[in-house]
Amino acid sequence: MVRDGPAKAFMLCNEAIVRGAIEADVKVVSAYPGSPTTEILDTFSDVKPNFDYKMEISSNEKVALETCAGAAMVGHRSISSMKSVGMNVASDSFFSLSYTGVKAGMVIVMADDPQAHSSQTEQDGRAFGPNAYVPMLEPSDPAEAKKMVKRAFELSEKYGVPVLMRTTTRVNHQSGIVELEKIDRKPFEKLDWSHAPARFTTVADTARRFKLQLLERTKQLEEEFNSSDLNLVKDTGSEIGIVTSGAGYNYAVDAARILGINPSILKLGTTFPLPRKLIGDFIKKVKTVIIVEELSPYLELHVTAIAKDANPSVKILGKWTGHFSEAFEYNPNIVVDAFAKALGLKAPVDYEAMMAKADELKKGLSDRPPTFCPGCPHRATLWALLQATKGTKHILSTDIGCYSMSFLQPLNYGDSMLSMGACMGVAAGMQYAAKEKVVAMVGDSTFYHAALPGLVNAIHHNDDFTLIILDNEVTAMTGQQPNPGSDYNAGGQPAKKMVLEDVIRGMGITDITIIDPYQAKAVVQPIKEALSRKGPNIIISRRACALYADRNKRRRGEAILSNKVDKEVCKKPYTCIRSFNCPAISIDDDDRKATISKELCDRCDVCAKLCPFGSIKLREGE
Amino acid sequence: MTSDEFSIYMSGVGGQGLVLLSNVIGSACASAGIRALTGEQHGLSQRSGSINIHMRIGEQIRSPLIPVAGADAILALEALEALRYVEHLKPGGVVVMNKRIQHPIIETIGHMKDKTAKYMSVEDVKARLSEVTDKIAVIDALAIAKQAGNALTENIVMLGALSTLEAFPVPEEALKKSISENVPKKAIEVNLKAFDLGKKAAFETLCNIVKCKK
Repeated sequence: MVRDGPAKAFMLCNEAIVRGAIEADVKVVSAYPGSPTTEILDTFSDVKPNFDYKMEISSNEKVALETCAGAAMVGHRSISSMKSVGMNVASDSFFSLSYTGVKAGMVIVMADDPQAHSSQTEQDGRAFGPNAYVPMLEPSDPAEAKKMVKRAFELSEKYGVPVLMRTTTRVNHQSGIVELEKIDRKPFEKLDWSHAPARFTTVADTARRFKLQLLERTKQLEEEFNSSDLNLVKDTGSEIGIVTSGAGYNYAVDAARILGINPSILKLGTTFPLPRKLIGDFIKKVKTVIIVEELSPYLELHVTAIAKDANPSVKILGKWTGHFSEAFEYNPNIVVDAFAKALGLKAPVDYEAMMAKADELKKGLSDRPPTFCPGCPHRATLWALLQATKGTKHILSTDIGCYSMSFLQPLNYGDSMLSMGACMGVAAGMQYAAKEKVVAMVGDSTFYHAALPGLVNAIHHNDDFTLIILDNEVTAMTGQQPNPGSDYNAGGQPAKKMVLEDVIRGMGITDITIIDPYQAKAVVQPIKEALSRKGPNIIISRRACALYADRNKRRRGEAILSNKVDKEVCKKPYTCIRSFNCPAISIDDDDRKATISKELCDRCDVCAKLCPFGSIKLREGE
Repeated sequence: MTSDEFSIYMSGVGGQGLVLLSNVIGSACASAGIRALTGEQHGLSQRSGSINIHMRIGEQIRSPLIPVAGADAILALEALEALRYVEHLKPGGVVVMNKRIQHPIIETIGHMKDKTAKYMSVEDVKARLSEVTDKIAVIDALAIAKQAGNALTENIVMLGALSTLEAFPVPEEALKKSISENVPKKAIEVNLKAFDLGKKAAFETLCNIVKCKK
């Protein structure tokens, strides 16, 4: 990442985006982590000591976008990255920013997550480009992403507007060979403010003036995109044309190869504004157009509209004709099957039969969904919460973080989860409507991200629910990034550590119970008591993320200890397994007693505290 | 499909070092002038869940995902995870799998409730896979990694084993150079040893069933 070019490197697309931005002399970086974009933030943070850009791991995406906006208004190039649902949070300022524009180049990388691998929804973020009149680029692979991010800065400066670079999971999390170019950066220096009053304000008259300007800007952008090398036309003279972009392009090319066909291809790198003349010229030359795009039929809608004048007789095949689905991500075999169906060909492999046979072979193979790591404090908190609420009907309004996994197998615990910080507003509504006790649950990072206004609301209205804050020091789910509760931030630079209980006390709540979940049984009673009191009140469950704590131990050269089961003592009550579900514990097939994996256990010692016979002990001398 | 193409479906359990493994192979390709790309899994799925990485080598390949029945080899760092993705293996393709099984917690819970239940074993997995291919090698990567000096080098043991395949197009020197560049400095020696021991194990378990490099 810091190696000077020219050279070749194997890089994750997210790393290639960072490299492109560094080569483009980006000066300000701010972002909040979110899969599949997190490695952009992580890489900027990791290599920060080598460069002089300013960087923040922001409290949320809206703040991150605004930080970039401010820097770009002054005159420094800036970049932010966020997942599509993060874009929802940032979108309020995003829309206005399209009106006011920016002075220096500003790029927003926004990633959708078809298949909802690690997101609440399969949201199609492409709507943000046209809705806000912000130019949108879409790369297909790491090499192209690196090239595009540099072009995005240039476009941003040329037209005075932030540029959106839209990706999807299978683009962000694709590695490939990337050409490294020369890193030629100017030293960071503060700039003079232009002192043009109201330059970046928008309301009423100014908003109306900006609107006319941005329509003109969009027209010019479309003109440029009609002949831009960001779009790729491969004219093979075939009667069949493929219109595609992003990840869809990769599958389309391979599917054509697998089927032995050679269609013409229009790969759109500029997906807003769409280059209508380029698309029209392409579809004029073919009889059949197949549209390959994941999620909503965005390209299909526009190609169909363009065809009305350009080539009314062209056959357009896509989602509306049933060849593709609007649900889930694509892969090469889905695209092969769709092409085969569209063109009356036979796929070389009967994929359905292969998968049916595989299903047969996999009968009885246990699922392995993501679960709490060995040593995870959330496992202990949830265990204690379940004990404390035994026999008590209650509703659990939960939130986004590792603890979201509580509603997955095997715990299946949790009643609602919408979006970052939503546990609080939802709890407020529930306590009005439901007879049962309402419990809300949120992690420290999500609390600072978007739950603070919800707590303000609950305190102000004296809403009756108990909020459990899981304070594990870091933003664990995305890879243990620092958050406002950390004493450092991006690149390890020192930062002011916010203390949860101080923040909450300052807001007016005095009923705060602080527990250490590793104490297991000992915290059941305090939880029970807190839940029995009228809300709003708070339980803070405080213990560092196990992955984070173990990594720090390794860094300090401390050994990670492990427990073992004393088989002489074990009477098979399975207390360590039942409602605890630690992946380090399994059952010995020979004697059916519990056994602990030395490699997986990190000796949180909670299972030992649960065992009624005291059979779980420190593993020594092995 | 041209003969210089090679796709490896790599699978395991979150935390086993699959991403490092794909970086080692990919960087080796970059330095040897071989085109490679991957489709990876990051994020939520890493939490002790099943994970997979599609590793693809070849001049013309564009899709980071391997199609069903498109993998020349499955490299599984955990035995159950070899079976989980069996549909991706070409009929007659190679399976190099770790002997180690990490019992999924869901299976353990079922086990707790049913006294007659047995965990799925390496032999079970092998028997099922043998309906699709006869080229299956089981490597005791944990024992070998410990022998090399660090239990965390299982991934590199498995790479050493895979590298012996004649059809695997990445030269050994490039792989070793890449290991040295991708693992922490103080762990270089133990990882190179793990690689060599993995190779040695493959000569005993893999190379009697599949064509290997000399």
